[in-house]
Amino acid sequence: MRRRALLRALALLGPAAAAGMVRPPRAFADPSAGEPASVDALPLLSGELTLYLGRGEGGLYENIIAAIEKRNPDLELRVRRGPSTALANTLVAESRAGRVRADLFWSIDASSLGLVTRLVEPPAVPGPLSDQLKPGFRYEHWVPISGRFRTIPYNPQNLNAAELPDDVMSLPESDARFGWAPAYGAFQSFITAMRLLEGEDATGAWLEAMAAKSSEFAGEFGVVMAVSRREVDLGFANHYYTLRLKQGRPDAEVELAFTQNDAGCLLNASGIAILRPSTLANDFVRHLLTREVQSYLAREAYEVPLVAGVPNPEGLPPVDDLEPPQVDLERLGDLQPTLKLLRQTGVL
Amino acid sequence: MSRLSFSHAASTLIALAVLSPVAVLVVLALGADVDLRGETVRLVANTLGVTALTVVGAIAIGVPMALVTSHCNLPRRRLWLALLAAPLAVPSYIGAFAYFAAFGTGGELEGLTGVAVPAVRGFVGTALVMTLYTYPFVMLATRAALSQLDGRTVDAARSLGATLPVVLFRIVLPRVRSGVAGGALLVALYAMSDFATPAILGLDTFTRSIYVEYNAFGLDRAALLSLQLLALVALVLVLESRVGVEREAAQKNLELTLGARARATFTVFMLVVLAAALVLPALVFGIWLWRDGAGDFDPWLAWNSAYPALLAALAAVFVALPVAHAAVRGQLGRWLERIATLGFGIPGIVMGTALLYVGLKIDFLYQTVALLVLGHVLRFLPLAVGPVRNCVARLDANLLAAARNLGASPFEAFARVSVPLILPGAIAGGALVFLEVMRELPITLLLRPTGLETLTTELWQVYEAGYFGRAAVPGLLLIAISAVALVFMLSGEDRLATRKAPRGI
Repeated sequence: MRRRALLRALALLGPAAAAGMVRPPRAFADPSAGEPASVDALPLLSGELTLYLGRGEGGLYENIIAAIEKRNPDLELRVRRGPSTALANTLVAESRAGRVRADLFWSIDASSLGLVTRLVEPPAVPGPLSDQLKPGFRYEHWVPISGRFRTIPYNPQNLNAAELPDDVMSLPESDARFGWAPAYGAFQSFITAMRLLEGEDATGAWLEAMAAKSSEFAGEFGVVMAVSRREVDLGFANHYYTLRLKQGRPDAEVELAFTQNDAGCLLNASGIAILRPSTLANDFVRHLLTREVQSYLAREAYEVPLVAGVPNPEGLPPVDDLEPPQVDLERLGDLQPTLKLLRQTGVL
Repeated sequence: MSRLSFSHAASTLIALAVLSPVAVLVVLALGADVDLRGETVRLVANTLGVTALTVVGAIAIGVPMALVTSHCNLPRRRLWLALLAAPLAVPSYIGAFAYFAAFGTGGELEGLTGVAVPAVRGFVGTALVMTLYTYPFVMLATRAALSQLDGRTVDAARSLGATLPVVLFRIVLPRVRSGVAGGALLVALYAMSDFATPAILGLDTFTRSIYVEYNAFGLDRAALLSLQLLALVALVLVLESRVGVEREAAQKNLELTLGARARATFTVFMLVVLAAALVLPALVFGIWLWRDGAGDFDPWLAWNSAYPALLAALAAVFVALPVAHAAVRGQLGRWLERIATLGFGIPGIVMGTALLYVGLKIDFLYQTVALLVLGHVLRFLPLAVGPVRNCVARLDANLLAAARNLGASPFEAFARVSVPLILPGAIAGGALVFLEVMRELPITLLLRPTGLETLTTELWQVYEAGYFGRAAVPGLLLIAISAVALVFMLSGEDRLATRKAPRGI
């Protein structure tokens, strides 16, 4: 077993840590919701549970799981890790064969949950679970756990924050050089959101105009690196790649900009679907919605907590200053029309 | 006669097993249409172009390396050989990402030296990086072919006044053509089925389109594209079949004597290749390790990587025996062998997905080590067949007959004549399969038992999340364990070499 992981896990979920933790300032807390629940209030878990876990954030989700196992010695947790899309495809195949092997599917993106909702048809989530979530993040067949913002990482040496428009649709008017990762799932979700918000024609025109100004990268970490090395002036990437790059290199030349109320600042969510409902599966999900786990995700993985009353990760503006668009995240799984647009415009 | 039909029957079964994922793909692809808008032409051109360039590069590095490390007067040849084979242990995404990060404006190399270096990207970049991680296939296959050359022909040519280059190009190389072609075939299939390198370095190939569709939940379209890719793979197999096979009984080892300047040139060449394939990625990951820290690491991952790889290596060698046996006995067997080779041209994610559907039909196999091993064997079988075939070809029926005449039982004749002759090839082929399975990712992710984490799944996990520093320890362990397999493989070849002398008497 990983000793250091366990030691950290103890500190993460132990009562001492909870007591010593800095309480979120009142200003950030949502007045409509109560205090987020503490893990101490939850019953101990016991029994067998199979979890399909998308990606896992380089061991950070694993630390959470190790901590949950440490707190609940009678829990026999079997974890299958894989890319969220591959696990979603696997679940669809299992469901067609009539033998779904997972009790829970924790996906890092909502589009995989959309596919599973449509084709595997998990039962509805019990009400008390979704009540803890921020309004706008309550879905019938899965529970959002944490969020990730679409952001515009830019190089502060090449561009002034004031020059940046707060409207993603007006970016084609800029003569800056852009970096993007069109083969990457998060980018395709962003374009899908744009399709849903602005329509096919506007999205097609946007892609066509941007294609001439943009360089292509394999992933969004590559985009952020290219911005920091002045290869491009700005790019499109999930927020946490920038925060993580700066964690290793605090002097890296990259800052984050946000657009307002459009696909450019989409708040996508990781979430969990309960495929075989049981009290045990529900209680496991309740662990993920505790103050301890949500704060840990924010602090260590730079993810946006979706339980009301837990502060945003360091390096992101306070949540009240951000204005993500209203999008039904399940519809982000409707990727084929997006691919068609990306191909028509020669982006992919 | 009965043995012959047995190996044909067995290799027919094995060829059918390799074709079963293809059948699944056909079913999955039914009704799919991919509107690539004329992109197909570009995909075909990119895929074939980068494959051809990689093959040329791998031959340009692999053939001289094979000659120098095995047949020239160079000190510490075995050490050089082991080092030069080591790039086989580096997963393609690790190598490609190291190049992506090291080169170009603001890359790690510029940060380190202050000197601007051009980016390694696109068509040429992809071919360069794939060359660095595939040339050992050509080197090892050429080496095996060279070991069967009769050195006396070269001596005769030299004594008649031929210079060293003339001897090389007119006597040596034409006679190892089929060995080079066998290695080049593996390089071509690797280049056509690898996803990570073209994706990271920004080249549009079939594998990239397959991944895009797979990730956008267009499984039917991914299957259709895979079938189109397989048509290209079949084309390459047909091309390779046109290279003739020549055999001769080696009486004396080939030995070439190089002058001091040639030796120095080759030494520099080898150092450059090693620096590019091994030192550069180690340096980049070292920088990240220093910057980010190593994080937690569970040593059990090494065992979890090694034992399925070991099982797959054993199973692949076992399966390779009848395929190799049939392959040296006529055209039908050769074609069955080529069908069995198809698996190495099927991208891992496609093979994994197809076998997932097969596994779901057979409940006791699904998510077991057995299915995982089956996936690895179907994909990497050709790596074992090649070396085993080379040894089986030397199995002279007269030798067995002689043993029987001298009173040996069939089993004794098999154990004391056949096995020692096949063993070196079996070890070399098994080691190659072991190396590939160790660095394999997509099949492992899809088919492994729930909870089995390996070095590559760990690498994938930290790499995907951008925690490159934590990739250093599992990456180094992967290379260290693979080095042990390499030592095994080379010792197997040693036995082959030492056994040769008495045979000629």
